Amino acid sequence: MFVMGLFWEYMKNYAKTRLTYRADFWIEVLSDLLFQGLNLIFILVVFQHTDSLGGWSQAEVVFVYGYFMIPYGIFNTFFNLWSFSERYIVKGEMDRVLTRPAHNLVQIVLENMDPPSLIGSFIGMIIVGISWSQLGMPFELLDLLIMTALVLSSVMIYAGLYIALTAVAFYSDSPTGILPLMYNIQNYGRYPVGIFNKTIRFILTWVLPFAFVGVYPASYFLERPGIEGSMAILTPVVGLVFLFIGLAIWNHGVSRYRGAGS
Amino acid sequence: MSANIAIDVDRLKKQFRVQKNREGLAGAMKDLFKREYTDVTAVKEISFQIPQGEICGYIGENGAGKSTTIKMLTGILVPTSGGLRVNGHIPHKEREAFVKGIGVVFGQRSQLWWDIGVIESFQLLRKVYKVPEAEYRKRLTELVERLKLADLLHRPVRKLSLGQRMRCELVAALLHNPSILFLDEPTIGLDILVKTEIREFLKEMNQEHGTTILLTTHDLQDIEALCSRVIMLDDGRIIYDGNLTDLKTKWSKGREIQFQFGTQVKLPQLEQLTAGLEGVQWKLVNEVTAVLWLPMAVNVSDAMARVVVVGDIRDIKIFETNTDEIVREIYQTEKTPT
Repeated sequence: MFVMGLFWEYMKNYAKTRLTYRADFWIEVLSDLLFQGLNLIFILVVFQHTDSLGGWSQAEVVFVYGYFMIPYGIFNTFFNLWSFSERYIVKGEMDRVLTRPAHNLVQIVLENMDPPSLIGSFIGMIIVGISWSQLGMPFELLDLLIMTALVLSSVMIYAGLYIALTAVAFYSDSPTGILPLMYNIQNYGRYPVGIFNKTIRFILTWVLPFAFVGVYPASYFLERPGIEGSMAILTPVVGLVFLFIGLAIWNHGVSRYRGAGS
Repeated sequence: MSANIAIDVDRLKKQFRVQKNREGLAGAMKDLFKREYTDVTAVKEISFQIPQGEICGYIGENGAGKSTTIKMLTGILVPTSGGLRVNGHIPHKEREAFVKGIGVVFGQRSQLWWDIGVIESFQLLRKVYKVPEAEYRKRLTELVERLKLADLLHRPVRKLSLGQRMRCELVAALLHNPSILFLDEPTIGLDILVKTEIREFLKEMNQEHGTTILLTTHDLQDIEALCSRVIMLDDGRIIYDGNLTDLKTKWSKGREIQFQFGTQVKLPQLEQLTAGLEGVQWKLVNEVTAVLWLPMAVNVSDAMARVVVVGDIRDIKIFETNTDEIVREIYQTEKTPT
C-alpha cells in the first residue's frame, strides 16, 4: 500500500515535469514504436521467403513477439536504470536515497520511471489479440489469468537480471559495457529457441533466461509440442529465482557502497 | 547505557580498499591483469557520545574523516568495525526505521527534486515519511514562517539561489520532526546574512524542540555561534573533544594586551616594569603604543598591576587569540611528526 501511494505521488510529479516538455514526450513514444515496428517488419519479411521457421508459422512467431512486448514494456517502464552508475554512484545521489525511509531500490525505480514505455505493452496486447483470432484459438477467462501470471513472471526475470547487472556498479569502479551486450542477447528470446544451436539454447534457458520472457510462456497458449510448451510452466519459478538472486546481489552491493567524494 | 544518549560511537572504524594505479602505459597493462590494492583507514577507532539536545560541531581538515563519520552515523556507509548506536538503532542494519528519526542536510547536494516546485518536493517527502496531513500542515507553516520561504514555495528548485535552496533543504530535512539533525557543511558558500539566519534558526530548533544537532563545518563562526561542544578530527582520530572555551585555553598559548600611553615610551623601560613575569614580551607599535604578549601562565591582573603604575594610560585593549588561529595552530602542530 505504502509503495502504491508513493508510486502515485511520483507518477504525478513525472506528469508535471514531462508535460512541460510535450514534444520530447511524443518523440520518445514515436521512436519507441518505430523500433518495435521495425522488429515486426523483420519477422514479416522473413516469412515472405519461407512458410515456417523451425516448424513455427508466421502467426505463431508474431504471437510470440506480441507476448514479448508486454513484459518488455512493463520492464522498461520501471527498470529504466541505464544511468544508475553515473547518477547514483559517481554523483553520489545514493546518499540521499539511503537516508529516506523507503527501500532504496523502490525509490530508485520510482525516480526513474518511464511510463511512455507502457504504450509498447498495449501494442503487444493488440498484436496478441489479433494473432489469437488469426490462429483461431478458443479464448477463456482462465487464459487471461494465466497470461497475467506469466507476464508478471517474465517481468521478474527481466527485473532480476537487470537489478543484478546494475548492482555491478557497487562492486566495480567503472562498470564495463555489459548492459549493451545483454540488450542484444535478449532479442533472441523472441524467436523459437529450436532454431538455435544447443549452446545458445542452454544460455537462453538457464543462464540469461530470455526465452522465458518470450517464446516459452507464449508457447503455453499456442499449445506447442516439444520443449517450448513444457518449459512454460517453469516461468514463475525461474522468475522468482532470478528476482531473488538479483535482489540479493543488490542488497549486498548497497552494503559496499562507498559514497562519492566528500 | 543511559537513555538520553542520542549518539553512541564506540571504537568506530572505516577502512576503504583503494586500487593502486601503476604509472604509465606499462603500468596500466599490468593493472589489467593483476591489481594491487591498498587499505586506507579513513576513520581510526573513534569513540564519543552525544547526549540528547546537544549541538556538537565536528571539525577537521579536508580528508580528516568527517564526512565518512557522518555517513556511517546516518546509515549510508557500513562501518568496518566498532559499535554504533544512534537513537537506539544500528543505522545500517535497521536503515528504514532508523532514518525516520533523523534529518540530513548535505550542503553540497540537494535533497529536493530539481524540476518540480519546492512545495511539491515537500509533499512527496510527506508521503515518504508518512507524516499525517494535519501535522505536516502545522509543521510546514511554522518552518516556512521561520525561514521566510512563503514566496519561494511554488518555484522549481533549479531556479532558486543557493541561500534560498539551503533554507528549503532545512525545511525538507525537518518536516518529519526528527530528533537528530545531521548537517554536513550547511553554510558552505552562503553569504553572511543567510549564514546568520540559518544559525539563528538552528539555535531555535534546538531550544524549542530539543533537536540534537551534529554539524561539520569549515567555518568556525558556525561553531562559535552554535556549538556547546567541539569534536576535532585529524587523520581519522579525535584530537580534541570538549567545549570551545576549553579548546581555546588548552591550545591558545597566550593573549595580548595593547596599551596606549599618554607619553612616549621606550622598550627597556617597559621591560623593566614586567621584569620577573615569566615569558612576557613587549612590542612597540608606535611611540605611544605598545603590545604586551602574555602566556597563559601569567595572570592578566598581575601584568596590569605592574604596568598601571606608569600612570598615564589612555587606553587598554585585550586580544584573545581567535579560534581560527588556534585551529590553524592545532592542524600545524599535528602535522609535525612526534
